[in-house]
Amino acid sequence: MVELSIGQEVEMEYGGKAQVLGVIGSGGQGIVYLVRYNGMKWALKWYDIDKMKNPKAFRKNIQNNISDGPPSNKFLWPKYLTKEKEDGTFGYLMELKPESFDSFVDILNTYKLSVDPLTGRSTKTPVRFTSLYAMVTAVINIVNAFRQLHRAGKSYQDLNDGGFFINMDTGAVLVCDCDNIAPDGSNFGIGGKPGYMAPEVVRGVAKPNVQTDKYSLAVVLFKLLFRGDPMEGEKVVKDVCLTESSELKHYGQNAVFIYDPDDASNRPVRGIHDNVIKFWRIYPDYVKDAFIRSFTLGISDPNKRIIENEWQKIFIRLRSEIIQCTCGRTNFTSMFKMVDFKTYKCPQCGTIFETLKFSNRKNRMPLYVGSVFYDCEIDPDSEDFQTVAGMLVENKLKPGVLGFKNMSDKTWRAKMPDGDFYEIPPGKGFPIWQGLIIDFGEVTASL
Amino acid sequence: MSKDNKNKPTGNPADKLPEDAAKAMEATAASLQNLAAAAEGKAAPAPVEEPDDALFDFDDDDPLSATGVSKKSLVIFFLIDTSRSMVGKKIGELNTVMEELIPEIRRVGEADTDVKIAVLTFGTQVRWMYSEPILIEDFEWSRLRADGVTNMGEAFRELSSRMSRNSFLNSPSLSFAPVIFLMTDGYPSDDYKEALEELKQNSWYKFGLKAALGIGSEANDEMLEEFTGSKDTVVHAYSGGQLAAMIKIIAVTSAQIGSKSMTLSDDVNHELSEEEVRSAKQKLLGQQIQDSMTNLGDADAISLDTGW
Repeated sequence: MVELSIGQEVEMEYGGKAQVLGVIGSGGQGIVYLVRYNGMKWALKWYDIDKMKNPKAFRKNIQNNISDGPPSNKFLWPKYLTKEKEDGTFGYLMELKPESFDSFVDILNTYKLSVDPLTGRSTKTPVRFTSLYAMVTAVINIVNAFRQLHRAGKSYQDLNDGGFFINMDTGAVLVCDCDNIAPDGSNFGIGGKPGYMAPEVVRGVAKPNVQTDKYSLAVVLFKLLFRGDPMEGEKVVKDVCLTESSELKHYGQNAVFIYDPDDASNRPVRGIHDNVIKFWRIYPDYVKDAFIRSFTLGISDPNKRIIENEWQKIFIRLRSEIIQCTCGRTNFTSMFKMVDFKTYKCPQCGTIFETLKFSNRKNRMPLYVGSVFYDCEIDPDSEDFQTVAGMLVENKLKPGVLGFKNMSDKTWRAKMPDGDFYEIPPGKGFPIWQGLIIDFGEVTASL
Repeated sequence: MSKDNKNKPTGNPADKLPEDAAKAMEATAASLQNLAAAAEGKAAPAPVEEPDDALFDFDDDDPLSATGVSKKSLVIFFLIDTSRSMVGKKIGELNTVMEELIPEIRRVGEADTDVKIAVLTFGTQVRWMYSEPILIEDFEWSRLRADGVTNMGEAFRELSSRMSRNSFLNSPSLSFAPVIFLMTDGYPSDDYKEALEELKQNSWYKFGLKAALGIGSEANDEMLEEFTGSKDTVVHAYSGGQLAAMIKIIAVTSAQIGSKSMTLSDDVNHELSEEEVRSAKQKLLGQQIQDSMTNLGDADAISLDTGW
């Protein structure tokens, strides 16, 4: 391919020039450059059109995506195309990834490398989620981004660990590499990354589409939570050398989930797959069941794959089951001792946790200072899983007295110890007590 | 939800609560003493009973305490001719380009693969730069000097003995087939044929990605083709500029292809067979090397064989 040089100017489709400032990275389809355009810095993806089957159709598709716009602000979407050069090469501009986001590759590695340009020596900086909330929120954000994309009638096609950036403090997600996104049913030549591709794509009998995206999404979620490959267990490791034929076998023709309840031939191997072995026992059954379904029934029958909305519900529930104990133990209720149907106990220090029952779901939310629920959990019409609606706090004037603070923009009603309901406008709070009932409108909650 | 209760005054209910209600409230708070203790930062009550479930192994159940994902490993073998004829510009160029190359391919394995490097030099003596393959992130090139004859057959034997699960390819996890990159400027001084036949029996070699670079006009492309098994993966550098460019192209391309699983199905619309995918990586490497060569002009006109 013809690479761009630093200082070179590239003509943009609708006038103006982008000047190349440096190289950001390179991938299978081309190179990403840092450029300046209209006084701002952008990322320019410059294609190696020799590797494309039909560059004209590929360009047209990006053009369509630009005019449709991104499904939401979670996408680093193509913004402007460059002019086509005489030889047909082109690229597009997108916004730069903010500094506060880390790549999914670095997250899986648990560190990032920075290389000193003078000596070539590299140093490692750890990359970790700063809280369990942030991690589960990131999962919800990823699922939600693909839900939005699929609702727009498009598929991502090339879902893999190079496609995301995550803020490790907040769980905010940015989906990048949006240039292969195409209307469901179309494909402009990308097959995907092995290990993430649906088995039918690996085998050559299907092209990427919304259904294969769902498989890849399950792989991404599995890797983020369990930090391992869902198909790499004993059966695969026995091959020692992963040749092209063994990949076709283990990821296509005869893919077996490492925790397939009916097929124990591919269990994770201690010493190699320690992350998966450790994390598999931590997560509650409803999470594990969803992965089991995705990677057993979902292998051969794309219609059995978990839909995004279902994943979203699962992980909103999981987030509401986090307990942060004062002794430092932070985990899901599945890793706390259940005393009775409404009480948990910390196995480390013995602290007891009461729970709150919401009228719209079976599971109960554990209560501790700082525990929160979100808009979508108290309003069936809300999709907002990011805005905290209520938080358990300690009364500033009466130490030791705990209550909920209404952080939403709606007025709730709460039953007080005198037996009456009082209106709780936004910003106000009320104590928790054994007979507490909160009326959010359509949803109620009780202790 | 009971609807009997009429709307009560709005505002902070605690301000307007009757005395007894406020008391009841405090009593309730006391019943949630653990929560309260938590709020005050007091030590929580000691556990009454020991946890009876082995599930709660709280030394090691933090969902955030992940280590890196288990990776596949890839060893890139560089087989480098350090015979006397390499002295001067050839070994100089080679040292420089290798020094620059290592940091460039550091990230090639991404989250999937640990890439390691092993360098075997052959002159009169056959020598490994380090006693075992070194992770690319930690690898530092030590500059080579040229001297002696071209004992390539001896190098093939040494390579074959080390390309084994008991030696250099001892990763407990999965490995990709190694990349083997041969660079030479002459014809072997020893009997390489028998050694090469032995090497060809090694399974790692069989599945490995092989490429060769002939340096200057003395290097024999047919011999190199015998080594790689295909014409496409043999290239020839006649000038210093070409040498540097070609080493980079081959090393980067083979590291990229070698360190990743392959999308086998990009161009097909039918059920793939094992037969079809066999050696797919080696074929792709050949294709990409050839594509890159056509884009490579001979900007540097001074031949490697002149001006010594």
